[in-house]
Amino acid sequence: MGPHTHLPVTLSVNGSRFPLLIEPRRTLLDALRHDLALTGTKKVCDAGDCGACTVIVDGRAVYACLLLAVDCDDRDITTIEGLAKGNALDPVQEAFIQHDAFQCGFCTSGQIMSLRALLDANPEPSDDQILRAVTGNLCRCGAYLNILKAGRLAADMQRQAAADV
Amino acid sequence: MAKLHIEPKQSEEGEDGAEFQVVEDEGILAWDADSELLVVGQSYPRLEGREKVTGRARYSSDVRLPGQLYARVLRSPYPHARIRNIDITKAEQSPGVHAVICAANVPRIAWYEESVLFDATVRLVGDEIAAVAAESDELAQDALRLIEVDYESLPFVTTIEEALRPDAPKVHDGGNIAGEPTTYERGDPESGLHEADVVVTGDFETPCALHNAFESHGCTASWEGDSLTLWDSTQAIFVVRQQVAEKLKMPEHRVRVIKQHMGGGFGAKQIPWKHDVIAALLSKQAGRPVQLLLDREAENMAAGNRNPTRQHVQLGAKRDGTLTAIVARIEQSAGAYRTGGEASNVSGTYQTLYRCPNVRTEQTAVYTNTGPAVAFRAPGHVEAAFALEQAMDELARALDLDPVALRRRNYAEVDQLEDKPFTLPEGLRLSYDRVTETFGWGERTAQPADSVKRRGVGFAAHDWSGGTGHPPGYAWIELNSDGTADVVTGTQDIGTGARTGLAQVAAEELGLPLANIAFQLGDTATGPYSPVSSGSATQATIGPALRAAAADVKAQLLEVASVVLEIGVGRLSVRDGRVLVDGDTERAIAVGEVMQKIAPHTLQARGARAPNPADMTIRTFGAQCVELEVDTETGEITVLRIVTAHDCGRIINPALVDSQVVGGVTQGVGFALSEERIVDTRLGIVLNANLEEYHVPTVADVPVIEHARVGVPDSAANSTGAKGIGEPPLIPTAPAIANAVFDAIGIRFRAGPLTRQRVLAALAARETNGSGEADS
Amino acid sequence: MKPFDFARPDTIAAAVALLDGRDASRPNRSALLAGGTDLLTLMKADLYAPELLIDIKRLAELDNRIEETAEGLTIGALVTLSQLEDDPRIQSLVPALAEAAALAATPQLRHMATIGGNLLQRPRCWYFRKPGIHCWLKGGDDCPARQGENQLHALFDVSPCVAVHPSDPATALLALAASVRLRGAAGERELPLAAFFAPPTDERRQETVIGNDELIVSIQIPAAAPGTRSTYLKAMNRKVWAFALAGVAAAIHMDGNRIAQARLALGGVAPVPWRAESAEQVLTGAEPSPEIIARAAESALASAEPLAHNGYKIPLAKALVRRALTRLTAPAFPGA
Repeated sequence: MGPHTHLPVTLSVNGSRFPLLIEPRRTLLDALRHDLALTGTKKVCDAGDCGACTVIVDGRAVYACLLLAVDCDDRDITTIEGLAKGNALDPVQEAFIQHDAFQCGFCTSGQIMSLRALLDANPEPSDDQILRAVTGNLCRCGAYLNILKAGRLAADMQRQAAADV
Repeated sequence: MAKLHIEPKQSEEGEDGAEFQVVEDEGILAWDADSELLVVGQSYPRLEGREKVTGRARYSSDVRLPGQLYARVLRSPYPHARIRNIDITKAEQSPGVHAVICAANVPRIAWYEESVLFDATVRLVGDEIAAVAAESDELAQDALRLIEVDYESLPFVTTIEEALRPDAPKVHDGGNIAGEPTTYERGDPESGLHEADVVVTGDFETPCALHNAFESHGCTASWEGDSLTLWDSTQAIFVVRQQVAEKLKMPEHRVRVIKQHMGGGFGAKQIPWKHDVIAALLSKQAGRPVQLLLDREAENMAAGNRNPTRQHVQLGAKRDGTLTAIVARIEQSAGAYRTGGEASNVSGTYQTLYRCPNVRTEQTAVYTNTGPAVAFRAPGHVEAAFALEQAMDELARALDLDPVALRRRNYAEVDQLEDKPFTLPEGLRLSYDRVTETFGWGERTAQPADSVKRRGVGFAAHDWSGGTGHPPGYAWIELNSDGTADVVTGTQDIGTGARTGLAQVAAEELGLPLANIAFQLGDTATGPYSPVSSGSATQATIGPALRAAAADVKAQLLEVASVVLEIGVGRLSVRDGRVLVDGDTERAIAVGEVMQKIAPHTLQARGARAPNPADMTIRTFGAQCVELEVDTETGEITVLRIVTAHDCGRIINPALVDSQVVGGVTQGVGFALSEERIVDTRLGIVLNANLEEYHVPTVADVPVIEHARVGVPDSAANSTGAKGIGEPPLIPTAPAIANAVFDAIGIRFRAGPLTRQRVLAALAARETNGSGEADS
Repeated sequence: MKPFDFARPDTIAAAVALLDGRDASRPNRSALLAGGTDLLTLMKADLYAPELLIDIKRLAELDNRIEETAEGLTIGALVTLSQLEDDPRIQSLVPALAEAAALAATPQLRHMATIGGNLLQRPRCWYFRKPGIHCWLKGGDDCPARQGENQLHALFDVSPCVAVHPSDPATALLALAASVRLRGAAGERELPLAAFFAPPTDERRQETVIGNDELIVSIQIPAAAPGTRSTYLKAMNRKVWAFALAGVAAAIHMDGNRIAQARLALGGVAPVPWRAESAEQVLTGAEPSPEIIARAAESALASAEPLAHNGYKIPLAKALVRRALTRLTAPAFPGA
C-alpha cells in the first residue's frame, strides 16, 4: 500500500449509511465535518482536551477527534444533527434553550451529546451523575451552571414524556 | 430625520483617526425607571438558540464552498531568528497543493506597528513564515513539512525582567520599550504617603492568560473576480473590511466580511489578524476558496493573550481609612508586537476607583519574544484589580477596618480624571449594598470541624471604563406591509446574546412583539456600519441607534394610522402589535391591518447613535463577595460561593445578563486559580499552548454564583439606560478570591494564579520562617 | 498526522507478526491501535509516525472482559477504564482500581481508553510532547525539564528523564500487586507490574520493558486476603480532568487491630508508578495510629529529591498517603 492509500469505510451516522473512500489518518471528526458536511460537531483542540467534538458511538459518548474514521466502520454514530425528530427538538436541546445553557455555542453540541448519552443510559440521573456526565466538556464562556440546570430539566422532560406515553 | 451636524473632534471617545466628528442626535428621550416597557426587561431565550442547539448555526469554520481548499501556516520554531532563505519548491509539488506563499511571492504588507506580513525576522515561536493551501488539511500539513527554512538564531528575551536589562537582546531595533511609557499624576503623591498614618506596599505579578476562545481565529476567503468575501471569526466585521482592503490595496466595497455566529472572542478577535490576508492571498493564487483556521497551539502562541504584569503598589491612608495616596508603577509585556485594539490600561482603575487627592501611576510596556498581547475581557483592569484590591484588603486589615467600610469611606462621587459627575453616581454604592446584603457580609464564617480545612471570605470592587457605548453606530428598519419588521444592523453577536438584547430594544420602540421582528447583523454587504464589539459596547452603542430608527418608523406608522383611522396622531400609540387610541379602546387596530391599507408600500427609517453626554462620565461598577475553603495539607482551594453585583444600567434581558455575569465570574475563577501560560525562558517556547495543561475551569470547578442584580437604569448614559456587562464581572473575582484565601489562612498571594504549587510552597515557607507572604 | 497504512488482523498471532516486522533501521514501522487516546495525540504532534497501524480493538482473541477466578481477577487488555470504573467486582474487590479509573481523564476518554493502552501511554511532560524539543526521552542529549519548568515533574531521580508516569490505574494496580501478561513472537510471559515498568535508560528510552514485538494480553490481580481494603487518592490542579500532581494507592490487610500487610504506590512522582516499600515496612505489623501513619508518609517520601519547582509535591504526597492510610485503617471503614 502506498502512503496515500484510501480505504473504503461505511459510516452509519444518524441512521443513514455513508460509504466513503478515505485516508486512514482521517479522524472521525474530520470525516463528519468534511466528508459528510455535518459541521455541528466542532473542532476546538483536536487533542481530546475539550469535549467539543463529543458524539455518541455505539451508545457511548466519545471524542470524535481521537477516533479514526476507518476505525468506525459500521459502528452506530449519532451526532448533534441526529437528535431532533423533524421539527421536534430533543428534550436536552429544548432544555438548553430554556435555561440559556450556552453563549457562543461552540461547545454546545458536545455538551448536549454527553447529556443525551447519559439520559439514554440512565433516565433518572442524580445531580452528581449529571455533573459527572459533562466533566469532559469544557465551556469557555462559563455556561456550566445553566448546563447543569438544563440537564436536570431534560431528565424531567424525558421522564414526563415517558409517563405520558 | 436625524439632526446631523459636524464639529471638530473633542474627545478620544469612539474610534480614532478622524479630525471631525459627526453628531447625530435624534432627540430620543431616554427610557427611565418609570417607563412601562413590555419587551425590554423580559428574559426571552436567545434568538439563535434553535440553530445553536441543533448544530445548524454556521460558524466561519463551518463554511463549505465548492472547490474549497484548506490552509496551514508555517510558524517559527525559534523565539528570535533571521530567515536567511526559504525554499517552497518541494511544498509546491506536494500532492493536492494549490498555493504556497511566503515573503518571496507576496507583496510587502505592513503589519502590527513594527513589522510586515512575512517578516525576514521572526520574533516569537509561532510567528508566520509561509502558508500552504491544499485539498485537505492533512495534505496541507504534508506540504508544510516540505518547506525548507534556513534560520539564523538570535538571542531573545521572554520576561519583563529580562527585557528591561540594559544589555538585553533587542526584540526590535528601537529597543524593548513598547510605545511611550505613560505617567499620570494628580496632587502630591509623596506628601500623601508622608501624611498617611498607614502605608501598605506590595509587589504584585499577574500571569499571562490565554483567551482560548473555543472557535480559533480563522476565516474562509473566496474571490469572485475582483471582489473578496471573507467569512471571518471576528468581533469587528467593518474593521476587518477596512483593514483588509487597505492591506490588499482594494476599495472597501470590493471586500465583504460575514460573521453570523462566533465561538467566542473575549477581545482577541477585535483586530484583523494575519490569517485574513494570508487566506485571501492563498485564495487569489489558487483561484479557489480557502479556509484557514488556526490550530489550538497557534491560537495560544500567536493570536493574543492577556499581558502579564508586574505592579509595585503603595497605598497611604489616615487612621480613619481616608486614602491619602495611591502610587502604582506598572510594567507589562506586550509580547513581540503591538497589535492595537482596546488598550490594556492597567493604570486606569488606580486613578478612578477610589476618591484620592494624590495619585501617581507609571506604566511601561516592554517587548518580549513571546506572543503579542491583545485585549482580553476588561484588559488592564483585571490585572490592576488583582493588585489594587488586595492592597485595599491589606490596608483594611492594617487599619482594623472592615474592607467594605474602607471602600465606602473612599467612595468616588465624581470622575476624578475630568472632574465630571458620573451619569449614575450611586452605581458602585448600589453594588456594595446589593452584594453585601445578598452574601451576608459581616456574618462570621463557620469553620469546618476538620481543622485542616480553613474557610475565608473576601471582597473586591471594580470600575470599568467600558460598557458605555459610543457613536458611530447605525440601524435600518423596514416595517413590512403585514406589520412585521426587518431590523438590520452591521454589528456582531460574539456569543453574548447581543442579537436578542438588541432585537428587544427595537421591538419595544416599534411596539411590536419580539416574534414579529427579524434581526440581522454580521454582514458588511447588507448592514450599515457598526463599530467593533469590544469594550462591552454593543448593547449601549447599537441599542440607542435602534431606538432612533424605530421611533422614526413608528412616527410614520402613526401618521398612516392617523389617516386610516381619521384620528389625530396625538391620540395614537403603538403597543404589542396594535395601534391604540387614547380614550377609545374599541378602536385599537393591529399594526398589520394599518400597513395593509398602504400595501405594498413599507415604512423605513435609519437611526444613528447619539453622542454620549459631554458634561458627565459614564462608567460601569461592581463588587463581589467570595467564600472559599483552603485545604492546608493539600493546597486545594475550593470556592464555595460567589455573589456579585454590577451596575450595568437597565437590564434588557435578565437571563442573558445573568449568563454574562456568571460566565465572566467563571473565567475569573480560572484566572485566580489555574490559568497561566508557561514559557520556558531558556527556549522561548510556550509549554502549555493547549487545553491540556492550560487549565480553564471545568464544570466541577465552578461554585454557586449568584448575580445580585442592581438593574437601575442609567438614563443619563443613553436613550435605553442600558450599559454593557460583558467584561466587568471578571474584574473583581481574582482579588476577591485572593482576599478570601488570606482570610482563611493568613497568607497573601501577590502572584497568581493560586495553584497548589504556590499555595503549598507558601504554607511550607510559613512553616519554616513564619512569614505570611507568598513568593511568586 | 503523517500518512500510514491500516491493518485489522484477525488473530493475535497475525498482529504480532505485523509487529515482528519491526527492525532497528525502521523504528517506526508499526504501532498497535486500541483506544487510540494516547497514540493519536502522539501522531498528531508528529512525535510518532508509524507506517502501519494495527487495529486490535476488534480482535476477538483479545479480551474486553473482566473475569473473577479463585486466583484473582483477570482483566482483558481491551477492557476500558469505564468498565473498570463501573464493574461491581472491581468496585468491591479492588476499589483502588475503580477509584483510579473514575478519577482518570473524562467520561468520554474512559469510554475509549483501554487498560492495556493506559499502561503503555507515554508521559505528558510538556517538553516531551512539544514537537520542536528534542528531549532525552525522544533520543536527545539531555532532559530540558531538569533545569526548566519542572513543577509537574518527578521527585524520585531514577532516570535521565524526569517526566512522571501519567496513569492513575497503573498506580492502583501496582499497589494491588498486579502483573501483566504479554504475548510476542516468542510466546507469552507474565511480569509483575513492578518489573514491567522500569525507569527509562540510555538503551531503552521508554517506561516499560515491553518488547518491540509484544502486546499486552491481560492484567492479573491476585486475590487478596479477605478483608483487604484499598483506595486511590489523587491531587490535581483542577477538580477533575487533569493529570495527577500526585496520586496515592494503598492496599491494607488488617489482622485484628494490626496491619498484617500493606502495599503503597505513588503516582505523579517518578517516571514509573512508584512503590513505597519503606513505608510498607513501617506499617506492616504495626497498630495503626496517627503517629505510625505520619511515619509511613515521611518514609514514603524520604528519598525524594525535588527539582527547583516541584518541592510542593512532597507535602502533597505525604498528605495523600496519610489520608489514604487513615481511611483504610479506620475502624468504621465501609464494608469492614
